[in-house]
Amino acid sequence: MTRLPQQPGERLTRSRTVAFTFDGKRVEGYEGDTIASAMFAAGRRTFSRSFKYHRPRGEMCACGQCSNSMVAVDGRPGVRACGEPARDGMVVTHQNAWPSLGFDVMRATDYSGPLTPPGFYYKTFIRPRKLWPVYEKVLRHAAGLGVLRKKQEDREWRTEYRRRHCDVLVIGGGIAGLAAATRAAELGADVVLCDEDIEPGGALLHEGHHERARALVEQARVAGVEILTRAPALGFFDGLVPVWQGDTLHQVRAARTVVATGVIEQPLVFPDNDLPGVMLAGGAQRLAALYGVRPGSAAVVATTGDRGLAAALALREAGVEIRAVADLRTGGPAADAARLQELGVELHQGATVVRATGGKALTGAVIAEVDASGLARPGTERELDCDLLCVSGGTVPATSLLLQGGAKARYDETTARFMAGALPAGVFAAGAVVGHEDADAAELSGAIAGAEAAQALARSSNGARTPNLDDERERLGALPAPSAVAAPPAYARDAKKGGKAFVDLDEDVTVKDIKLSIAEGYDSIELSKRYTTVTMGPSQGRFSQLPSIRVMAQETGMSMGEVGITTARPPWTPVPLGALAGRPIEPAKRSAIHGRHRELGAQVKWAGDWRRAYDYGDPQGEAVAVQKAAGLIDVSTLGKMLVRGPEAGAFLDRLYPNRFSNLKPGRIRYGVISSDAGRIVDDGTICRVDEDTFYVTTTSSGAAAMEEWFGWWLADWKMDVHLTDVTQAISAINLAGPKAREIMATVTDLDCSNDAFGYMDGKRALIAGVPCLILRIGFVGEVGYEIHYPAAHGEHLWDALLDAGKPHGLRPFGLEPQRLLRLQKMHILVGQDTDSESTPFAAAMPWIVKLDKEGDFIGKWALKHYAEIEPETALVGFTMANGHVPTEGAVVVRSGVAAGQVTSSRYSPQLDQVIGLAWVPKDLAADDAAITISDEGVTYDATVRTKPFYDPEGEVLRS
Amino acid sequence: MSLEFLAPDAAVADDRHTPIARTSMERAARSAGARFEVRDGWNVAVAYGSPERERTAVRETAGWADVSHLGKLELHVSNADDLAAIVAQAADGATLELGSATRAADAWWLPLTADRAIVVTDAAALPGLRDRLQEAAANASATVSVIDATCKYAALTLVGPLAREVFARFSAVDLRPRSLPVQGFRPGSVARTPGMVVREGDDRFLLLFGWAVGAYVWETVSDAGAHLGGSPVGLDALDEVAIGIAPVREEASRA
Repeated sequence: MTRLPQQPGERLTRSRTVAFTFDGKRVEGYEGDTIASAMFAAGRRTFSRSFKYHRPRGEMCACGQCSNSMVAVDGRPGVRACGEPARDGMVVTHQNAWPSLGFDVMRATDYSGPLTPPGFYYKTFIRPRKLWPVYEKVLRHAAGLGVLRKKQEDREWRTEYRRRHCDVLVIGGGIAGLAAATRAAELGADVVLCDEDIEPGGALLHEGHHERARALVEQARVAGVEILTRAPALGFFDGLVPVWQGDTLHQVRAARTVVATGVIEQPLVFPDNDLPGVMLAGGAQRLAALYGVRPGSAAVVATTGDRGLAAALALREAGVEIRAVADLRTGGPAADAARLQELGVELHQGATVVRATGGKALTGAVIAEVDASGLARPGTERELDCDLLCVSGGTVPATSLLLQGGAKARYDETTARFMAGALPAGVFAAGAVVGHEDADAAELSGAIAGAEAAQALARSSNGARTPNLDDERERLGALPAPSAVAAPPAYARDAKKGGKAFVDLDEDVTVKDIKLSIAEGYDSIELSKRYTTVTMGPSQGRFSQLPSIRVMAQETGMSMGEVGITTARPPWTPVPLGALAGRPIEPAKRSAIHGRHRELGAQVKWAGDWRRAYDYGDPQGEAVAVQKAAGLIDVSTLGKMLVRGPEAGAFLDRLYPNRFSNLKPGRIRYGVISSDAGRIVDDGTICRVDEDTFYVTTTSSGAAAMEEWFGWWLADWKMDVHLTDVTQAISAINLAGPKAREIMATVTDLDCSNDAFGYMDGKRALIAGVPCLILRIGFVGEVGYEIHYPAAHGEHLWDALLDAGKPHGLRPFGLEPQRLLRLQKMHILVGQDTDSESTPFAAAMPWIVKLDKEGDFIGKWALKHYAEIEPETALVGFTMANGHVPTEGAVVVRSGVAAGQVTSSRYSPQLDQVIGLAWVPKDLAADDAAITISDEGVTYDATVRTKPFYDPEGEVLRS
Repeated sequence: MSLEFLAPDAAVADDRHTPIARTSMERAARSAGARFEVRDGWNVAVAYGSPERERTAVRETAGWADVSHLGKLELHVSNADDLAAIVAQAADGATLELGSATRAADAWWLPLTADRAIVVTDAAALPGLRDRLQEAAANASATVSVIDATCKYAALTLVGPLAREVFARFSAVDLRPRSLPVQGFRPGSVARTPGMVVREGDDRFLLLFGWAVGAYVWETVSDAGAHLGGSPVGLDALDEVAIGIAPVREEASRA
């Protein structure tokens, strides 16, 4: 019978049962059970198979820290059964074993020895090379823990971020953390406490002080502390601590942080130390105290300090027969040891466990006195039958978060472990993590840390004075020092051969593996870690870091301090990627007319951070319609800025290589922005709206960068200019084509005749009742009106124009036909037809550079230089000899050597030929010159054109 | 005014066309069941079918309402003193303080920098406010720009006891009362886009963000809010949650 009678501090509600299945078999437990405790109570001892050797593994920590009990729950792999509450209807299955947990064929790897040393995949399975894809598939299939559901929709689950600002974040809900949180809250701070366990209270809960623990929790709640449970802190990122709680990632930004993460009990290293039945002493205590489960019938306890003795007493109380206790310390029994002896328990001082025995589970243990290297002294061995071996190899402070936050690790000889010191500003530490393991000391240190954190924020409640902490610090210093702990040997063993001594149960790394890595030259802990993967498993080195350092120290002769520890990195606890991803909602800009495009059947794609209509199902037909009748395109994504002020013209003259101060109101000029180095960065049009106001457009993708560029230079030059970005405020549509003027006439009273409204004029008028700024420009090569108006009327004006244009054959057209039409006119796309090396001279725009401008302008020095030298390459148009449309990016070759590249290419139905733009050697930049284009290994002939393919003289544009 | 192409309220109806201004969240609100009315030239969502559900949202959980129709002006003055004088003249003696929103003349005055502010008011009040500002600007020695920014910023009002929790799902701006008291004003990232937050009342927040991301922000807020039990609310339901008003800060001495 594994269930104990009701325990005083247990978590169970025995009046309510829960039932779930494990590998198809029904398991019953109580509300409050974990999956593991319910399964343990039902008689299960093997919970998983190990990562590499597929050895059976049983409960070890009973608190969700190790990976011995990893299972899949409702299709979600990698769940630690000993930390997961059992719920009705759960479907729990084993991982990493086939065909069953009881019989796993992959256990054969346990006997494969020489074939699978550390790093075997670098040595074996690499020849012949061509078989590597096969090996990789097999190895990949064999590796990994757990299986994801095949269908994406079956794997989906809702996760979200929650941002939480607070004054003080307390990490760790044991006695020190609770005391810190309560104190800080009582002093007026806004406090969040996070704890990775099912309920806060820490070790007090299973060490017989549950009432004290739960009273402290209530005190914290009354003080207003927000308590997050099952919520491990994942890392420390410059004041941001992510705390993962189920499907929520709390991003906690605290002004001050108190780290009270406690200590982690350590296992011992000896042959077959992984057998089901070998548990941490604290784990066995937890099973009994919190879940009312007897962890075994007959136990041997091997300890290096008082923890193991206390566990032995508690287990005896719970009805477990304690066959023997091996306490590695010498020099007289501690109080608990004396008590055990009074109860008739065998006590062996100066001894430790040197072997576990058993097949699928523990059946016995051998204890002995050991020499400095851990070898049993002959004649001192004592073999004992048992089904439970409780080990307690001291503790390690859980310093990872402190170290991530900038604290420094140092080896403490007295306690034989690494401690964290030199805490960064704003970070406080309390409790066992800084050496105060006794409950009273931990509580006092927590209260002090909480007060220090709150004091640092100068918070006090209701005007109460912040306390003087000197007395408390003095009291803390006067408390008795913790009792001594013996440093265990790197690995203990008897004289018999055989048995694997595991340093890392997660990764199946043994003592032999560490020795091998050192022999192969990986003789630092960082290198050995990477070679053997020690500490890289799900428990992130909680139980393996210190043992691996001990082995390395012993083998290399370095001191523990010299070996050092590996760098602490997040996440401290494995976390699903979905929890880090948050909500899958992508920020998207949409024009005010977006809905209409969808209704018209547009194919919508990303264009930068905008959603744009690429076409309406017939890109070539749309392009033809523009040239034969009229087309309407939404160009709302263009960057738009108002540049206003008495120095606005002068400002633009300094920014652009051409002139704007002499632009008359109502006129438009094309502009190219150049960098300091004279290279093309962006382009657009500028319309002078009135004497002091210029309306500047930029490329869609360059809008934000140009606003920044303008703003930066304005701040530097301190000119009397106001800059206002209106990109999103204005909808813009381009009506273009031979019928455009006729269509305009039906929706506005504005005289749109060519005399009244010529090419490159800008006018303001109402169209369909909407106030507009109309720019007569022609990116697509036809008579065109680019209409800018308030976004709130986006759909209204679009609808009005489409209605008005229907009788004239007006069609909407998208980005793809626009690209073809502008290509016919050789209008460049900055960033596609130009790159970071392109100058206006090389891009066939020498006319844009006004070197005779008075005053300086950005890029002047460089452009003066470029004006005097021949560019090596030039941007030209080309037509293809055959019908092949070269890939954009295809190479222009000369004598087989790359000499340029194609930047744009399309088939033009209007011209019935393939056209494009390309950079070619300067001497080939002449009409009818022959060039060769290499596209995916095939070469093609093409002919250079230097003038637009369509309407080369711009007569249509200006008509 | 040469910049009327920025002003949605400059539209006029003719015999064939009646331009009605629409927000970038209108379609999303319609999909959520909104009932619309035309008010002050705007098509606005006034209710969502169940007054009881909306009342629950504003009183017990969280509600969100599209208020993008609010008139907005960007005021840019080349001289901080002139900005202060213009504001005082146009807003009944109000003064501005960085980090705070000032409620005056039925508008929110939001200082972005020492020489730049945004003013947010009811759609009906916008023309009058614009005129007052331009009148006050005429007295300034520095260059003044009064730019209609109504369609530059979409706006959402988030109300209810869970409003802060909903907000925390998509923004890291600290909305705790000690960091953002009533009439506090914070520019910052709203749902991963540039935005601003005004605390209008204890449980009432005005969010401003780019017009073009309106649909995206609505989706984000709805996703977060619905998960916490909230729902969209119409303009009529917003009356349940008052705008917190603090006295206008008078100038120490007036000219």
